[in-house]
Amino acid sequence: MNRLKSLILIITFLFFLSWSGVAIYSYLQLGHLKTVAGSDGVLPPDYSGKAILGAQVYKANGCMTCHTQQVRQLDVTHSDIDRKWGARPSIALDYLRDRTAFLGNRRIGPDLSNVGSRLTDPVWYYQHLYEPDQVTAGSIMPSYRYLFHMQKIQGEPSALAVALVGPHAPLPGYEVVPTKDAQDLVAYLLSLKHDYILPEVSAETPSAP
Amino acid sequence: MNNATTLSKIETISYLSEPLPLDPSRSLEIDRSMSVPILFLMRSSFFSFALGLFLVLICSMKLVFPSFLDGISFLTYGRLFPVAYDLFIYGWAIPLGFALILWLMARLSATPLSHVRIVTAAAHLWNSALFLGSLAVLAGYGTSVTFLEYPNWASFLLFVSFLLMGLWVLLLIKDREERPLYISEWYLLTALCSFPWIYGTANLMLTWGKIQGSAQGPIQCWYAGSLMQFWLTPVALGAIYYLIPKITGVKIYSYYLALFGFFSLLLFSGWNGLSALIGGPIPAWMMSAGVVTSMMLVLPMIAVVVNFYKMFQESEKLILHQSPALRFVAAGIISYVIATALSLVSSFPCFNAILNFTDYLSGTYLLFFLGFFGMTLFGGLYYFIPRLTGISWSSSKLIRFHFWLFVVGISLMVSSMVLGGFIEGIALNDPVITFTNILSYTAPWNVLVSLSWSILLLGFFCFMRLLVIMRWQMIEEKLPLSL
Repeated sequence: MNRLKSLILIITFLFFLSWSGVAIYSYLQLGHLKTVAGSDGVLPPDYSGKAILGAQVYKANGCMTCHTQQVRQLDVTHSDIDRKWGARPSIALDYLRDRTAFLGNRRIGPDLSNVGSRLTDPVWYYQHLYEPDQVTAGSIMPSYRYLFHMQKIQGEPSALAVALVGPHAPLPGYEVVPTKDAQDLVAYLLSLKHDYILPEVSAETPSAP
Repeated sequence: MNNATTLSKIETISYLSEPLPLDPSRSLEIDRSMSVPILFLMRSSFFSFALGLFLVLICSMKLVFPSFLDGISFLTYGRLFPVAYDLFIYGWAIPLGFALILWLMARLSATPLSHVRIVTAAAHLWNSALFLGSLAVLAGYGTSVTFLEYPNWASFLLFVSFLLMGLWVLLLIKDREERPLYISEWYLLTALCSFPWIYGTANLMLTWGKIQGSAQGPIQCWYAGSLMQFWLTPVALGAIYYLIPKITGVKIYSYYLALFGFFSLLLFSGWNGLSALIGGPIPAWMMSAGVVTSMMLVLPMIAVVVNFYKMFQESEKLILHQSPALRFVAAGIISYVIATALSLVSSFPCFNAILNFTDYLSGTYLLFFLGFFGMTLFGGLYYFIPRLTGISWSSSKLIRFHFWLFVVGISLMVSSMVLGGFIEGIALNDPVITFTNILSYTAPWNVLVSLSWSILLLGFFCFMRLLVIMRWQMIEEKLPLSL
């Protein structure tokens, strides 16, 4: 039995080395960051109520399967910033307000860390979510038609009705309006802009190994 | 590392020994004691694997034809893809690995399993949690954390049922007849004890309770890396260390190499996941730790592969040709070497800058998962199932089909993902090339990936066919076990 015990002890020791080194230490080092005072309020800014709900829609539909939310550091690659996916590399503090950090690990679609700064028109988002390939030729993003509903126009057309051209566009007399989920999702995407300047960004930006 | 190796060097010889031969009636008693939970776990894992293959085939076709089944909430790519991978991991890799651990542990400790009903009940609980959790993710209740997508109640049930299953294996080891521990037991014990720990920690930090978003990235990557190095690798290596000596009759070439392989794997595992965040929003030391350990993981690979290679060299060549189990194991070992080499390349920061976020990394992961773990465990199944059921395989032709379809399917998939990923990465790194242009570069590779998933599905049908024939035979001969 003693042999078994000492073997289990060694295994446990080596296992806990990586467990405490990665899981616990990163929690201690990065899990208690504080917001900082910027020139126009607290940074990073908190999400609006709609955007928080929108993050839930983002989560429910697994957007992070194809879209990352991280701009890589310049000493590793310039391409993220050259592609105008962000003005500066992402830092840990940028995710402080995120309930779930959607860092992602695959770029089947573009990075979204700063999509709210790049594309500011909500109508573009609605059109793109409904018929991606009509808005961006060659896009392989699937349609999110289920976040919209088609209704008969009664009296005045809805102010939210989306102008569409593709095969799933509404018939005359009908209109397509975004559901609450779609509106929240677009509010969330529009709020994705990590372009504020943090006082200690330069000090905190880690250098490459 | 130092104290670990010196300590083990002192006691090496008494620590490790060949698995002692069992009395045939005793081994039959042991097999009978646990055939119910093992066959149940295997059966459900085959079902999950087939379903996972089918769903992932739909996903890969969606990349080729974006309008295929689009606009349907529960079939959208972002929900279907995680469910397919979760079925592979929690539906196939973990129950199947657990079944193997159960069998090997009982055989190697020469002790029958007690409380079989609790293990079977826990396995049922596991499957219900898996099934309901997958439906919940499809319905939009997923957590969007890679490999931890199941909603809290489902992941908690999975956690509890694993503890319930694992506990009896630990008790079995405690009650075992006094005999030296074999190297397989070391690996399997490590996998068995570390899985609930990493799964619990990751869920505690990312889904059950949520730590600050800024710290979630490293934990996500740590979990993905740990799952690979603390479950897939040790289970597969434990199986290989059992299978090669048993089938060929050759002793382990070098115990020192085996020890070095074991402890160096343990030392560098867990950290390697951080290399997924090279250039990401984490402190510099974490990135360096991820890079260094990912490179160092070549050492345990070389140690075990040299050992296996020498054992193959010493064994009779005829056995290699005749045993389907060994053929699968050999394919598994080759996949291990290539997958480790591929991930070594992508852990250099200069290459990672190009390869990160592309299919190169998915290809490496799949080679590790399906090639190394999958082929090795299929090899194990070809060895174990006839011993559990008492019926030999009916058709060597179907086994050959299964083997070659998997070899062709995995090679085609991995090579197209790696090559396609390289092209995708170079294009991504050139800001002049627009994003939709990049998609046109990757399109042909996606077609090949879809093709290879269907080849794998076909190969798996051959395996299922073998099982169905076996089941018929069991019904005809009125054997008490059910497959």
